[in-house]
Amino acid sequence: MSDNVDTSTAPRLIGKPASAVSRLFESKQLGWAAFAIAVVFPFVIANNYAMNIATTAVIFVLLASGLNMVVGYCGLLDLGYIAFMAVGAYTAGIVSKAFELPILYTIPAVIIMCILSGLVIGGPTLRLRSDYLAIVTLGFGEIIRLTANNLDITGGPSGIYGIPGIELFGLDLSAPVSFYYFCVVVVALLVLGSARLGKSRLGRAWRFVREDEDAAEAMGIHTYKVKLAAYIFGAVWGGFGGLLFAAHLSAISPQSFVFLQSALVLMAVVLGGMGNTRGVVVGAVVISLMPELLRDMGNLRYVIFGVVLVAMMVLRPQGFWPARAYEPERPVPDIDPPGGGPGKPDGGTRPAARGRRNRGAGDAGADSAKGGAA
Amino acid sequence: MKLRIPRALGMAAVAATVLATTACGGILGGGGEKTADSGPIKIAAVIPLSGSSAPTGAYMKNGMQMAVDEINAKGGVLGRQLQLDAEDEACDPTQAAAAANKAVSNGAVISVGGYCSGATLPTLPIFQKANIPMIIPAANSQDLVNQKLPNVFLINGTGAQQSAAAVKFMVKDGVKSVALVDDNTSYSKDIATETKKDLDADGTVKVALSTSVTAGESDYSSVVHDIMGANPDMLYWTGYYQEGGLIINQLKAAGYAGKIMVADGSVDASLIKIAGGSNAEGVLATMTQTPDTIKGAESWIADYTKQFGSAPGPYSTQSYDAVRVAAEAITKAGSTDGTKVIAALEAIDGFELFSGPLKFTPEHTLSSGGFQILVVQDGKFVLKDALS
Amino acid sequence: MTQLIWNGLFVGSFYALVALGYSMVYGIIKLLNFAHGDIYMLGAFIGFAMLTSVGVIPASLSITALLIVLLLVMISTGAIGVAIERVAYRPLRNSPRLAVLITAVGASFTLEYGVAAMAGPNPRVFPVRLEGQTFDILGARISAPQIVLMVVAVILMLGLNSYVQRTSMGRAMRAIALDPKGSLLMGINVNKVITWTFFIGSALAGAAGVMAGAYYGKIDFLMGFIIGLKAFTAAVIGGIGNIKGAMLGGLLLGLLEAFGSQWLGGQWRDVFTFAVLILFLTLKPTGLLGERVTERV
Repeated sequence: MSDNVDTSTAPRLIGKPASAVSRLFESKQLGWAAFAIAVVFPFVIANNYAMNIATTAVIFVLLASGLNMVVGYCGLLDLGYIAFMAVGAYTAGIVSKAFELPILYTIPAVIIMCILSGLVIGGPTLRLRSDYLAIVTLGFGEIIRLTANNLDITGGPSGIYGIPGIELFGLDLSAPVSFYYFCVVVVALLVLGSARLGKSRLGRAWRFVREDEDAAEAMGIHTYKVKLAAYIFGAVWGGFGGLLFAAHLSAISPQSFVFLQSALVLMAVVLGGMGNTRGVVVGAVVISLMPELLRDMGNLRYVIFGVVLVAMMVLRPQGFWPARAYEPERPVPDIDPPGGGPGKPDGGTRPAARGRRNRGAGDAGADSAKGGAA
Repeated sequence: MKLRIPRALGMAAVAATVLATTACGGILGGGGEKTADSGPIKIAAVIPLSGSSAPTGAYMKNGMQMAVDEINAKGGVLGRQLQLDAEDEACDPTQAAAAANKAVSNGAVISVGGYCSGATLPTLPIFQKANIPMIIPAANSQDLVNQKLPNVFLINGTGAQQSAAAVKFMVKDGVKSVALVDDNTSYSKDIATETKKDLDADGTVKVALSTSVTAGESDYSSVVHDIMGANPDMLYWTGYYQEGGLIINQLKAAGYAGKIMVADGSVDASLIKIAGGSNAEGVLATMTQTPDTIKGAESWIADYTKQFGSAPGPYSTQSYDAVRVAAEAITKAGSTDGTKVIAALEAIDGFELFSGPLKFTPEHTLSSGGFQILVVQDGKFVLKDALS
Repeated sequence: MTQLIWNGLFVGSFYALVALGYSMVYGIIKLLNFAHGDIYMLGAFIGFAMLTSVGVIPASLSITALLIVLLLVMISTGAIGVAIERVAYRPLRNSPRLAVLITAVGASFTLEYGVAAMAGPNPRVFPVRLEGQTFDILGARISAPQIVLMVVAVILMLGLNSYVQRTSMGRAMRAIALDPKGSLLMGINVNKVITWTFFIGSALAGAAGVMAGAYYGKIDFLMGFIIGLKAFTAAVIGGIGNIKGAMLGGLLLGLLEAFGSQWLGGQWRDVFTFAVLILFLTLKPTGLLGERVTERV
């Protein structure tokens, strides 16, 4: 849906003509196609099992797109992302159980709690160097899990169970198929939102910070605020993931929020291509289906994950489906100022594609996907 | 725009066609759940077959398979064969939900799985919506029955029953003060909390210390320090054997002279090995019936060992019994219909299990947990007190 | 009280041994080696494999056998550390930090679950157990194996310190930590020095793993994860990149944990540790002994 293109590097990539495959991958209709597949899927297989893993996959896509804003766009390695999902899930679970509210009414509480936890976790840590940040987020992730395990309000180690399903305008959406559709719509909107954010003025500032924090600072970007914004957006997306997760499983416990889960979300982002929403969506679907497909492989599948992470970084650090023009090593003298006007071309890495892929076309593709989702 | 949308729809159509040709059984295909009235009766078992609890999952699966084979050899149930559908949950709630849904989609009519309480909780509503009775052989957290779901039956003693047995023995043994240590998992904390409640109500035994440790570590010197400071007559450890062995070892090294009792999660040969040397000699345990402690179970153990090439382990018997109870209920109900089977389960009275004759309480738990006291003697757990 | 101090110092010496490797590697190439804690785990498992393959060891020889195994494990984990650097980190020496961190996470995963797949996920019981009498010193109960392990840890740390201070390789390490480009220009074989750093750091972690296995008796494939985090915390407290700081930080963290769990209850200990880490990183990122490090742009 988005093509996080840094216009500045575009002229440097002139060279090979676009192949058919590459044109297909860059096509505006891919978001549509993905959405169509998600909508059509239940018409193909609609048993509980298929719906269950499909719903899990869709929620995972949401998490990955949230983490993508933090890691992919802004370049902040967050190893405790699942903590935000825990905050969202526990808030939704506790509030809806305590006040006997439908779970959707907990959305404001979830958003507030996630913003707060984003501020609390991000506030002191985002001033740190990037590698310190990684380990501090890991520490925070563990703190949240251990706290949930130790407190009574969170149900201690057994967690919270009997969380109600989704109810909308008096309609019960807790049946597997309707809940799946509900998730598809919500997640499509949020994924689209994250892609649009990535292309916004803020999104360009994120990428600037990722590429060169000092240069960004020098150009007048308040890097701390920009990073905090990425963190908070990521937190809210994670919180929504948690809410859907709680409604989906009906029972949550600290076991669902271990470091391994953070690593899997990160894996989805890295595998798909940091910063590219489409790649991340595909990565998330692959990673979340993997445990089901490799059910019999047990621990070996995590060995494969580890090897793939290393191999990916060494051989193809941009991911299988990278954002175009992710060229961190290349010094870029004529950098697009972050506050570049909306009229600026925002797409196009190749002359052949440039004419069509101006900002208007990008928006049209995104808008149409949105129309389909709503 | 005008050009784009048809192309998008075209892609969607292609995608749909591809999907449609690869499989069928969707909304339009009349998919959903099928419970066949002929062919084998499918029994679901959502148990850990990978991850750190995999060994116990294997013991459970073998016990179930053994019961299925025996019943099938005698002609099955209602003239149909039984078929075990074991699905891995790796003690992870998300995977457990997927596994339960998979079992339901495969057409299971009854469930006999459930080991990790945290992973079993999310499977309850899934089976309940499909009106599938669950006979849970191992998971025993109070939270499983607190929801009062009609389809959930526990045939393992609950935490409350285990703690009652522990307290009974403490009083009988003349223990004056006890330290309660759990490992902060739901199973362990459940027993510790219940024990504390019972002890406070009883009043003759003082709780000198009640604390938790973090599972999966090596150094428990701080809890050992606390125990030494509290100087109780007995330590009751309610966690698993990995940490239990370490704590026993470090307590003995610190010169602890009091008694040690462990809960059923620690009853494993590895506890004695990890504790090292003769440190575990004299360690007591609260435990349900195991093949080793049941008189007359030798032939059962021999059959099991012959079939699977290794001796039975924790929860083999309960899992074996779960399948037998399931078969009995379906036979009595005369059908695989969930509601009828649940009624038949509630009506069962006196069906012989390893733990004694079965009759469910209104809460759907065992009327007595069948807990007894074991003791480590010459490097093995042996029966000390049947508490009857 | 003295018992708590002793417990803290004893656990802290394990943290210190692992923290040294973290700190050295970070000091020299500014890499946060996530897989370092897993080298500790690997050390324990290699030691386990060696001792079980030998068969039954008479009790009188167990200390000798253990020391030999300790040496062999140090060599093998050192070599594994070097191999990981070659395969996973060296190709990314000039890549963005993010890429290297992700690789480190991947390496850590590979080691953990590789061991789980090969040795099985169940905890193993170490074949040789350090047993011995206990002494009462100033009200603290101290056992002979604890003293042996403390002595070994102190010898290893002092040896490392004099190696870094006295030898030309040590001088080269310090030079690269200060200015890698300058060192290269001065004719220092930077790759060789980095290889040695990984070797020494991993060997120390492997040694700590064997010692933990022999003392506690139980090893499992995730035992390195938490201690890796704790060791990093120790390195940060002492001042990351500083060898004496890592030792000090390790001992201090051990003490903090001993008293922290006394005050707050055992289940809050790790929360307390991570809170200390975050406090240090935000309030005094240079640690107790660290010097101000300017981040290279």
